[in-house]
This record gives sequence, C-alpha cells and structure tokens, in this order.
Amino acid sequence: MTRQRHKSVRDRECVSNPLPSSQHSRRKFLIKAGGALAAGAFGAVPLRGYAADVVNIGGLYPTTGSMAQIGTGCVAAAKLAVDMINEAGGIKSLGGAKLNLIISDVQSDTTVTRTETDRLITGNKLSAIHGCFASALTLIASEVCERAKVPIITGSSSDQLNKGRKFTFTPFARASQFARAQLQMAKLVSDQPKVAVIFENTAFGTSTSNGLKELAPGEGVEIVMFEPYSAGFTDAGPLINKVKASGANALFSVSYLNDLILIVRTVKQVGLNVAINGGSGGFVIPDFYKNVGKLAEGLQGVAHWNHDMSPDCQKVNEAYKKITGDFLFEYAGGLVAQTFMLAEALERAASADPQKVREALSTLDVSSGYAAMAPGGRVKFEPDGKNAYGRPVGVQWQNGDLASVFPKEDARAPLIKS
Amino acid sequence: MLETVAQAVINGLLIGGIYALVSIGVTLIFGVVKIVNFAQGEFVMIGMYISYFLATYFGVDPLLSLLVSMPTLFLIGVLVQHFLIRRVLGPNDMPQIFLTFALSLLLLNLALLLFTANYRTVHTSYSDEALHFGGLYIPEAKLIAFVVAMALSGALWAFLHTTDLGKAMRAAAQNRDVATLMGINSNRVFCVAFGAALALAGAAGSLLMPFYSAYPFVGQVFVLMAFVAVVLGTLGNVLGALVASVMMGIAESLGIQFVGADSGLIVVFAMLLLTLAFKPQGLGGGRMR
Repeated sequence: MTRQRHKSVRDRECVSNPLPSSQHSRRKFLIKAGGALAAGAFGAVPLRGYAADVVNIGGLYPTTGSMAQIGTGCVAAAKLAVDMINEAGGIKSLGGAKLNLIISDVQSDTTVTRTETDRLITGNKLSAIHGCFASALTLIASEVCERAKVPIITGSSSDQLNKGRKFTFTPFARASQFARAQLQMAKLVSDQPKVAVIFENTAFGTSTSNGLKELAPGEGVEIVMFEPYSAGFTDAGPLINKVKASGANALFSVSYLNDLILIVRTVKQVGLNVAINGGSGGFVIPDFYKNVGKLAEGLQGVAHWNHDMSPDCQKVNEAYKKITGDFLFEYAGGLVAQTFMLAEALERAASADPQKVREALSTLDVSSGYAAMAPGGRVKFEPDGKNAYGRPVGVQWQNGDLASVFPKEDARAPLIKS
Repeated sequence: MLETVAQAVINGLLIGGIYALVSIGVTLIFGVVKIVNFAQGEFVMIGMYISYFLATYFGVDPLLSLLVSMPTLFLIGVLVQHFLIRRVLGPNDMPQIFLTFALSLLLLNLALLLFTANYRTVHTSYSDEALHFGGLYIPEAKLIAFVVAMALSGALWAFLHTTDLGKAMRAAAQNRDVATLMGINSNRVFCVAFGAALALAGAAGSLLMPFYSAYPFVGQVFVLMAFVAVVLGTLGNVLGALVASVMMGIAESLGIQFVGADSGLIVVFAMLLLTLAFKPQGLGGGRMR
C-alpha cells in the first residue's frame, strides 16, 4: 500500500481520470485519490513511514521564473537518470529499492529556495538532494541541508560551496578553475595572446573577471583591455570600438545572453578578427545557438560537462535528445552523472539514512560508468566536498553543436582558430 | 584617434534615432494631453513582440511589420485614452501618475506571464551586415532604423503644422479651454495624440527588432533615456526631444569611448544637469512646438 501511495504521488496528474473496472481497482483508485488529495492539501508530499523498497531523492530546480527554461531541462535529465537506474534494477544492496525523485520548484528566487528546501526535507524522508543550477540558489539550499544533515550534490561552481560545509558535494570544476582554462584556450588561438576582458559591472562579472586578471600573468597571457560595462546596454558599438583600438586578438566577454548577442553581432559588423570566449552558463545551452544563429560558429566557452566527452556521455545525450529534442546541456548532463554518484553511494552505504549516504559519498572513488561522467573521468571527494580530479572542459560551437576542444584528454574535435 | 571619435559619433547618432522615437511619443502625450505616460516603454515592448511573432510564425520582415505594429498601437492608444486616461483628467495629477504607472506594471507582468522572461531575437539578412567606409562602419539594421525614425518624426512634424487636426492638436496643447470654445473636440484630439504617440513607440519596437532582443523588461531600458530627452528638450517640445535624443546618443557613445564602458550614462546625466542649471526650461527654451 505504501508503495502505491508513493506511486500515486509521482503520478498525481494521472489519477484525475481513472477508469475503475472492478471493485478491486475502485478501492485502489480511492487509495490513490486519497493520497493525491492529502498530498495536495499538505503541499509538499508529507508521506512518512516510507517502505524499504523506495529511496527518496529530492531535486530543487527553478521550473518557473527567469531560469525556468534551464530548470525544466534539469528536471527532464533528473527523471531520465532515475529511470535509467531503476530500469537497471535499482539499488541492489537495498534489495533492488527504486529511486523516487521528488521535485520542488524553487522559482528562481532565493527566499522561495530557503522555504522549499526546508519543506522538502521536513515533509519527506530524503536520502539526498540535488540542485539548484544557479549558485546563488544552491548556496542557500546547501545551508539548509547542512543544518538538516542531508547530503546535497550540485553542479554549481561557486567556490563558496566548499567552505566550512560537510554535507555539500561538488563533483565538477570550480569557478576559479574556469578562468584558468579560458586563459589556456587563448594560448591555443595565438602564440602571443592579447586578451581584452569586458565584463558587466555586477558581482558575477566583477568576480569572474578579477579571477582572469589574477591568473593571466602566471599563464603568460597579456591582458590589453580590462573594462566593466553597464549590463543591459542598448548598443555594443562603442564598447567594441574600444576593443578594436586595444589591438586584442582574443576577447573574453563575461556577459549574460542579451549583451553577448549584441557583442557578437557588433564584432561581425566591425569586421574585427578576434577569438571570442563567452565563458559558461547561458553561453553553452542550445538556446544560445537558436538565438545567435550562424554567428555563434567558432565561439569558444568553458563548461563543467559536455555531451560528447565520452561514449557514456554520448549515450545519455542520445536518450535525452529523444525526450526533449535538444542536446544534453552542461548542467543537465552533469546532473545525470550526479544521480549515478548518489546511486553508487547508496549502493555502498546499503542504507537510505542520509548520514550514512553522506559517509559513503565522502569515501566515493569512481572512474568508470555513468557516475564517472566528468571531465577528468574520475570522482573522488576531498574533505571540503570538492572533486580532487574535477576540471572544466573547453568547448566551441561547431556546425550548430557544442564540441569539446580542450584539454587534449577530453577533446573530441580540433579547435577552429578563426 | 579621429577615426575612433568619428565611429563613436556614428554609433551615438544611430542609437539616438531610436531614443527619439520613444521620447517624441512621451513629449507629444505630455504636450497635448498633459500627462506623463510611464507606460511608454511597455508599448515599445509590445511593438517588439508584434514584430517578433510576425517574423517567427509568418516570416514577415520586422520592417514590414511596421505596417501592423503602428496601426495596432494607434488603436490601443485611442482605447487607452478613451477608456482610461479620459476619466482621470482633472486638476489633480496623482490619479494620472498612478494610472500610467499601474498600466506599465500590468503590461510588464502580463508579458512575463505570456511570453516568459526569455530573450527573443529575429535574424534578418541585414542584421549582421555593415557598410564600410575606410576604417568606419555603419551597421545596416541601425541605419535603416535611423532613417525610418527620422522620416516618421518628419511626418509627425508635418502633420502637426499642416493639417487641421494637427493644428487643433497644438491649439488644445496651448489652451484646452479656449480650444474647446473654438469648437475643437478635445477628447478626439487627445485620442489621436495618444494613438500617434503609441504608434511611434510601436515603430521603435519594430525597428529595434532586427538588432535587439525582445524581453518583457526591454521597455525600461529605453524609457529612461526617453524621459531624460524629454526634459532636456523641454517638456512638450517635439523638435526639442528629437535633438536632445540624438545628442544623448552621441554623448553616451563618447562617454563609453573616453570615460569608461560603465560610465556612458554619467556623461548623459551630467549633460542634463548642466543644461538644467543654465537653461532650466530645457534646450527648447520652454516653448512647446
């Protein structure tokens, strides 16, 4: 019965119009509908006393609000990963227990993230949580998880997530590593890289660009222009005019989508021959190419995951493409790997208890299978929750697809220079 | 160096044309109806979405969609004036301010609900092209936008000075009571003025679409510049708003070039403060034209 109740929660939409053919199924229907009603009445699925045959995993993603598009993609990937694990027999050390994914919408909002994380944890017996895409949201969710002693695994890149936390695990490259990779990519374009760094004058832009500035001398890259701009400008002309005057042969733009589109178009109009590196985030999702079109060809970026890195990645990418029509983007792809890391930890812990799952994660060391789908191909967490082998992958838009081009070990296509 | 300055002036001039379309609308409504329309930016946004959807689903070039966006917004303007603004015209300004401000918030959030916060772009054959003269370049899409913007401003100027309705509009702007005594139907005049102002906002939206992304907040970017231009060029003065908009575009561009890319607006606002200090009634000298 408990199992049915859980099922009823997962398939809540489906029970609204059932066809009870016999007495037995009518009772089933009443149980299901009752469960659904109770779930609706209490909001976030307050079903206690879970059976050993189900392991609850929480997922916190912004499926409404300004980040909705990426959040929805993440949810699709998270469901795909759970289905893959369940179809392969679930968690064997727990008698083939199935994973049960409970998604909560954090609405691209920090306040909502705090209450939703709290609600998810207190309302369900969770073994672990993953989320939330945006670092600003993940930092808050992670605080709540630390207090509740539930492990959270995330693809967010903020270095702050590795400071003074015991239940937070970050299997992918950190923000500070992204900057170094970008500088190293500039050296592939030219033997004497002269880089112009333009960044929006926000916390995100300033911290990212300062990272670039600090590391540049050590990497032998000369920064010839370092210029903040007001985000949401009406015209990129004057800014690109300045880049042209600086004599740069590479341009790092720390920008959100709208500004970046204007910048890319203006560079083309000016006829300026610079290699543009757009960094991470909105730059490495399918939507970027849809918006920018052919102009995106040859643009470089950095990501913590890419869909062509390994045969396993490509397999998952194909499955995701069948569901959504788009390629599996950075964050969502990393999320599939994270779900397999959790499954691996549950397998080793042989328990659904969050504290034991945390212990298993902290001693995890995988270098094969879907759980090892990360640049570097190995996941082993350090005491601060960082993956000792984590590193970013350099990418480039080629023929409408995002190809891995850096470093050599992860590259699947050569870097196109012009 | 000279080349850099020339390029900065060209960039400023071109974007100034777009600012002009928005600010002329604001100043026209203020001059004739005597209210400040805080929702003007949102009507630019509506114009952009009209062009975006026509281009995406019917393959209509954004410039052609001017023929749809301008009449549509004219009609919206007449309706807004007739059913909303007319009822709050009176000695007290507060209801008018709240009305247009509420309209702005309503349209913005409606757009968020219907179209989501995503950026939407239209790609045309001339979106990424530019004309080159020596070391200088002129982006084609912006050049077209500038030329059409100037033509529309000129048409409005001719309308206000040569047609009976235009003259009636100016008369109502100078003194509403006397104009009514002379047999001018002030509500009709106000409807046309509001409609024309919104049609210009719609035109700005359509002209922006080949080179700028549409999103619910896009109007806010342009309306701030429009308000500065309206004050700089004397409230209610159409020609003043046009000149001020172009000046601001150039000032912003030169500011970005020589002060810093995040300081373009500092130059614009310094210009505003200096003008107000020495010529408190704006460049138009306080006259309404």
